[in-house]
Amino acid sequence: MKINTDLIKFESGINLESGTKLESFELMVETYGELNTDKTNGILVCHAFSGNHQASGSESGWWNEIIGPDKAIDTNKYFVVCSNNLGGCSGSTGPLSINPKTNKSYGKDFPNVSVLDWVNSQKKLMDYFAIKQWHMVAGGSLGGMQALQWSISFPDSIKKAGIFAAAVKSSTQNIAMNEVGREAIRKDKNYMDGEYLDNNVKPKNGLKTARMLGHITYSSESIMDQKFGRKFQDINSKVDGTVDYEVENYLQYKGEKFSDTFDANSYILMTKAMDGYDAASKTHGDLELAMSDIKAKLLVVGFDSDWLYPPKRSKEIQLAAMNVNVPCSCVILEGKQGHDSFLFASDDYVNIIKGFIESV
Amino acid sequence: MNISTSQIIKDWVPNDSKVIDFGCGDGSLLKDLINEKNACGYGVEIDLKKIQECVVKGLSVIQKDIDEGIQDFESSNFDVAIMASSIQCLRNPHMALRRMLRLSKQCIVTLPNLGFWKCRLHLASGKMPVTPNLPSSWYETKNLHLCTIKDFEKLCEDEGFAINKRLFLNDNGAKGLLSSLSPNLFASEGIYLLAKK
Repeated sequence: MKINTDLIKFESGINLESGTKLESFELMVETYGELNTDKTNGILVCHAFSGNHQASGSESGWWNEIIGPDKAIDTNKYFVVCSNNLGGCSGSTGPLSINPKTNKSYGKDFPNVSVLDWVNSQKKLMDYFAIKQWHMVAGGSLGGMQALQWSISFPDSIKKAGIFAAAVKSSTQNIAMNEVGREAIRKDKNYMDGEYLDNNVKPKNGLKTARMLGHITYSSESIMDQKFGRKFQDINSKVDGTVDYEVENYLQYKGEKFSDTFDANSYILMTKAMDGYDAASKTHGDLELAMSDIKAKLLVVGFDSDWLYPPKRSKEIQLAAMNVNVPCSCVILEGKQGHDSFLFASDDYVNIIKGFIESV
Repeated sequence: MNISTSQIIKDWVPNDSKVIDFGCGDGSLLKDLINEKNACGYGVEIDLKKIQECVVKGLSVIQKDIDEGIQDFESSNFDVAIMASSIQCLRNPHMALRRMLRLSKQCIVTLPNLGFWKCRLHLASGKMPVTPNLPSSWYETKNLHLCTIKDFEKLCEDEGFAINKRLFLNDNGAKGLLSSLSPNLFASEGIYLLAKK
């Protein structure tokens, strides 16, 4: 599989939904496979809240199970593009970047970004590749929201949208969970009102707590029972002495790892973008009106074990599409990983994605 | 579904209709309706393998157990709802029919006739019928609510459904004279176009 990683600069900048303009911006982009001469085989994949441009091709590829040679999104046939979202912390312009006006990192002053801003920045990326129409835009969770928004914002530029474990807007409970995560970060003494970079510290504890909570919401009660049960952690592999159960050790480990790599201001920005998304925000809450101009075919997949974006959220997308005569299929798969199920290949999931991509 | 049944359904669906096909199977009928009648079509199916076949055909298909309710779809304003050879597999056929007529102006239903003379012969010989239209043994069949033509039309009357069209086929899939004269005895399948009175 041919992999290219590039930092692409967009000199014309971007007008953000918040009203702020970034005079220029960069996107960290990774591509898999090759663009055909007609430029008709492009597939954009959008990452979820904590993902980045590394969708496949290495151990850190967040969608390794789905993207690759002969996989559901087959890189022998398609040119797959993934970029780190604006405001992220994996190379694209974000809180860690230098603000040209101050010559210091943006930090907490990085302007608010939204799902719409991401889609608009990805449209510029599409123009950079001189692709006229994506064969598909796909993603799970917050990535699925971007795929949905693509079909609404640029109806002629997208043939198909794969919307997995997603919703037309964040639920009250989603916002509540995110706020607990943000509060953990803000209350870390190293957060320093968002100016931790200037003080050469990092609110690692807050990030870690936020991530531990996150992992609970990405899983489910029965999945945690199956995976860990009430088993005690082996004494030789405890991350620290306070740990009793395997599940504690797991959350400690995952939280610690995340807090090493993720930026706290990005965390706050990304979760705020997730909370703020509403596909019907431009149509005064009228979802059907918002979706009425969609020309893409939609595939909506939900997972039974997902309680963060449960199946009824998927059905809501399907129903609104059908009410305005937009072609849309919807399946609810069992999913063994809760909300995270969209990341993992199962036969049914792979077959339905493959069939959708290949369909005429 | 035999060729004549699907042809009759296609003939009854007006051009440019918004159609929902309950129990759409592999989506063959839906695909024809889209290609030949310019229909805006949606399929409902419970079997994931069949759903995958529909998706490959480029169809819009929704995974759903019809018995668990189709009330959600009432806001979708369909012109025609189709239930071909599926009504007898439902736990609550009468509820499904009521709901179909709530979400759609018209409804096309096809059903096997248990009153067909060959079925009666099987029963007279003391056995459950196995015919081309009822091919499975009693222990394998998905059919829960088999009925005769008379039974079905009585239900339509009781429920207040108008039968706008009806057609009867013999077991060659043809519109024979006998099956139209005495459908309860000679039709192996009935095809109905229902509407609310």
